[in-house]
Amino acid sequence: MTQKLNLKEIERKAFRSTFQDGLWDIYLGLVVIFMALFLFRPDEGYSPWNLLLMLVGFGTSFLIFWAGKKFITVPRMGQVSFGPLRKRKATTLAIIMGVVIIIQVAVVLFSVGGWLDDDLAAKLNALLGEANMERLAVAAIGSLFVGPSMILVAYFNDFPRGYYIAILMSAAVFLMILLNQPIYAVIIGALIILPGLVLFIRFLQKYPLPKRGDS
Amino acid sequence: MSDPETVTDTASLAEIDRLIHEPARLSLVALLYVIESADFTFLMNQTGLTWGNLSAHMSKLEEAGYIEVEKTFKGKRPNTLLRLTAKGREAFQNYRQKMKQVLDELPE
Repeated sequence: MTQKLNLKEIERKAFRSTFQDGLWDIYLGLVVIFMALFLFRPDEGYSPWNLLLMLVGFGTSFLIFWAGKKFITVPRMGQVSFGPLRKRKATTLAIIMGVVIIIQVAVVLFSVGGWLDDDLAAKLNALLGEANMERLAVAAIGSLFVGPSMILVAYFNDFPRGYYIAILMSAAVFLMILLNQPIYAVIIGALIILPGLVLFIRFLQKYPLPKRGDS
Repeated sequence: MSDPETVTDTASLAEIDRLIHEPARLSLVALLYVIESADFTFLMNQTGLTWGNLSAHMSKLEEAGYIEVEKTFKGKRPNTLLRLTAKGREAFQNYRQKMKQVLDELPE
């Protein structure tokens, strides 16, 4: 039994070592910042440019993540392919995330439909009362979209820092909508990036480039 | 006259796979058992072995047919991927079983 547990620990240690570079933290922090900078325009109104710029921001974040893994992490840490357990977990996560996204889209469509329908809008407004309550409800729904999804990612990827990131991402969306200011999300994004940068520097110090050409 | 149980215990010990029993190789085989494949750099980082040590142990394991080495290129750089063979996997399972048996048989 002890041996079985030790093997699990060896696998977990090897898997978790792939998160030591802090690139996930940097990537997710940048996503939060780009979301706040480009998507949040309640006063000016939304335009396709908001969405386009946000997607460019997300693309840039992913490019930084991908390039970091390919050109910095893998040459230093080495290449590894994990076993069927991890592949099963990745597939399960993909399926669950797919279902979560469908639910989120359904909630958004239902909300939009609800507010467009006069009778239902009147009922919702009566239920939520003041404008602040309406904003509170939207903020809560927004953070519920982000938090549980990130918790799932953290759980299935055996990524303990992911829980901390999930809380911060939820808080970023919640405060951004509730207080009508993008600055809170930008600060929270920086709070996600900061540990990532520290980890990244420590990673570079701990894993110098191997001297031999053959890896 | 020797005790029959003692004879059995000694026999169990003799059945331990010495190739796997060596601590550095044991950590390598255990690591390769739980992953699909890895390159030299990853194995060096995980086990703390030097390039020379790792290379020597890998050669022994490859000679025994416990691991297979796949040489590829990443761009212009050679890249060596290592994975446990079915024989190596079976040998490690037998090793674990034998070790458990031997340790269980030890008096308190």
